[in-house]
Amino acid sequence: MKCIFILFFVPALALAQDPNVLKQGQDVFNKSCATGYCHGASGVGGGAPRIAARGFDQAYIANTITRGIPNTGMQAFAGTLSQTELNGVVAYVARLNGIVSPASSAAVPAQTASGPVLSAEAARGRQLFSDAVRSFGRCSTCHEVNGIGIPVAAPMGSIPENVAALRALATPRVSTATVSGETMPILMLSNRTQSVLFYDLTATPPVLRTEVPAAIRLREGSDWRHSSVIGSYNDQELSSILEYLRSN
Amino acid sequence: MRALLILLVTAPLLAQEAGPTRTDWPHYGGTQLSWRYSALNQINTGNVKNLAPAWIFQTGDYAENLHSTPIVVNGVMYLITARAQVFALDAASGRMIWQYRYQTPRTGIAGSQSDFIQNRGVAVGNGKVFFGTKDNFLVALDQKTGRESWRVSVDDPRQCGCNITAAPLIVKDKIIIGGNGGDQAHRGYLTAFYTATGRFAWRWYVVPGPGEKGNETWKGDSWRFGGGSPWLTGSFDSDLNLVYWGTGNAAADFYDGDRVVSGADESRDVNLYTASVVALDADTGKLRWYFQEIPNDVWDFDSAYEVLLMDRQVRGQMRKILVHMNKSGLTFVLDRATGEYLGSFNVAEVSNWIKGVSQDGKLTGRYEPELGETRFICPSAAGAKSWNSMTYSPRTGLIYTPTNEICTEITPNNNKPNEGRNYMNGDFPMKLPPNRTTYSHVDAWDPVAGKRAWSIPYKFVLLSSMLATAGDLVFTGDPEGNFFALDARNGNRLWSFQTGAGHRGSVISYSVNGRQYVATTSGFHQTVVGGAMVRLFPDESFRQGSTLVVFALPEGTK
Repeated sequence: MKCIFILFFVPALALAQDPNVLKQGQDVFNKSCATGYCHGASGVGGGAPRIAARGFDQAYIANTITRGIPNTGMQAFAGTLSQTELNGVVAYVARLNGIVSPASSAAVPAQTASGPVLSAEAARGRQLFSDAVRSFGRCSTCHEVNGIGIPVAAPMGSIPENVAALRALATPRVSTATVSGETMPILMLSNRTQSVLFYDLTATPPVLRTEVPAAIRLREGSDWRHSSVIGSYNDQELSSILEYLRSN
Repeated sequence: MRALLILLVTAPLLAQEAGPTRTDWPHYGGTQLSWRYSALNQINTGNVKNLAPAWIFQTGDYAENLHSTPIVVNGVMYLITARAQVFALDAASGRMIWQYRYQTPRTGIAGSQSDFIQNRGVAVGNGKVFFGTKDNFLVALDQKTGRESWRVSVDDPRQCGCNITAAPLIVKDKIIIGGNGGDQAHRGYLTAFYTATGRFAWRWYVVPGPGEKGNETWKGDSWRFGGGSPWLTGSFDSDLNLVYWGTGNAAADFYDGDRVVSGADESRDVNLYTASVVALDADTGKLRWYFQEIPNDVWDFDSAYEVLLMDRQVRGQMRKILVHMNKSGLTFVLDRATGEYLGSFNVAEVSNWIKGVSQDGKLTGRYEPELGETRFICPSAAGAKSWNSMTYSPRTGLIYTPTNEICTEITPNNNKPNEGRNYMNGDFPMKLPPNRTTYSHVDAWDPVAGKRAWSIPYKFVLLSSMLATAGDLVFTGDPEGNFFALDARNGNRLWSFQTGAGHRGSVISYSVNGRQYVATTSGFHQTVVGGAMVRLFPDESFRQGSTLVVFALPEGTK
């Protein structure tokens, strides 16, 4: 419990002691986000939607800024802004949404792996995670960690404790769609009046599909299980991968 | 007997029918036999002097080139720019029907040469428009609306250092795509997806894995980063149900010490299946046969180029053949049902990398880069021909190809591979060969006889694809911006038009409502091969741009 407390509170404290983060975020925002046909000064909106006082939480803000929104003018900034700039602009937009003490480290991990020195097992796990020899059977087909992989799945929240837990992983976000008479497991990204954007998980790699709402029927839940897509790894390999993920 | 007779008479005619384009320009290579030949003859040697612009389309793409081959189906043209904007245009007027912008992708790996800003074309079929992207997605749009239908990640560019720049190939219910990355520490492959859903169908690795035949031709675990990326577009023979593709160079490009098994016989089967022509089962992607043109390629002469499928009399017998050139200018004629070697010829005039080719198609007298030395080798890795396509006219029986006479000074190194990072292992500045005043030529070759029919010199380099038509015309463009027509029978220059920017793309022909059009891209590429050429001729201006210029005979002219 204490551990979690520290994890969440320390960055906020760091921010409170360092107003430069917000200031820098505002500068980046003014240069990159408020200009042209985009979000306007203080995020009040312009050619692009208002983003101030929308009730966005910080995780959503971080995810959107770093990854962008497919098929819109909202580009992914992970490749163009530095980690410090990303942290700043996420904190600034969080402040615009009424978050008083935004965490300064909520942005998605940087592009390049420059983290802690890995143990031999974790290093092996890192290699296995994106092992090219496994083709589409590798973790990085659907997960992005340390700037490697395709972010089909949302960033990992908690890491399974062991291989058994990994194999038993529930996948509550996967639902079921019927398109043109065919039923398939899907990961919904956005369900709007004009179009439905989702990953078809029938086969690996997942396919990002766009359908008109009339063409698709949706229901909660799915028979799809994460254990069905990790078959290229044995227990020992999965254990190494978990060790790598815990090392981040 | 009667049945046999009919078979003999109709088989070649049927093949002929599948080769030329007519009203449409349906595929990257014209048809899937990749002739880039149009059966239209409204524009011909007699009236080409009257050819004039009908419409011009500025893509507005701020990138520095337009490489792609437009596709025309039922009067609609589909055009993709270097930055993956896709346009559907009325092919008679240039009016825009729809536009699609691919979201600016993340960059690849800095310094890996993987960040090519270019795109060589879309594929259109099964109600969709398909293209590959710089960040390795294969994307399908609705053909009518331009709305995105699906996209799938073929690989992570940040890991593999690879990109897709080629046009995909539609084969029945599948779409097949290669990628580049053969100059990075990467293991090349072709991947097929279902056109309807985007779901994975099959993948064929150029470099076989452990336990697969051919893996033994790699030293240690060098197969993991063995290159071979098939970075252009293949061909398809529906009768044989075979897909043909050229594969790229082995990696590392200029140093073989870490990938060739010691004592290997360099005359055959080294580092399979790099620098080869392969025939794959169109349904399963399984290898049916291969012919390795350059066993142990140490010159970056990868064999990734277009594969022309034609039926010709060879030594008195009608054969289903293919004609395939690699960067060295060495051009192979093979039986496309079996892969049997039938002959070869070399289009480069300045060539010292081999002494010749034996009766059975093996390279003799190899002159290889040597660690610790700098060697002057011709042609260069830029190619006696670059990736731009040749053309074949069944009326003359000749192929028409642009040939460049550029050499290189290769200094290899023995750096170790780092996944997705540059793995060329050598410096290779381009050099002009001594004692010449012209550095390229348009050539006409009889591929079966291996004889050059004519050759027209050009001062600089020729890096644009060619088109032959039933009007006995051959079209192409030069880096100075001239788009021109030659007489297919003798090479005489009959017409020329200044399009305003250098040519590094493609020319096609099609017709709408009975009027024939010839369309060319305009806009030179000042990086990679194009950039090397800019540096070789520093006083010239090979201008960038992104424009499509479409020509027709003025209405009323005959």
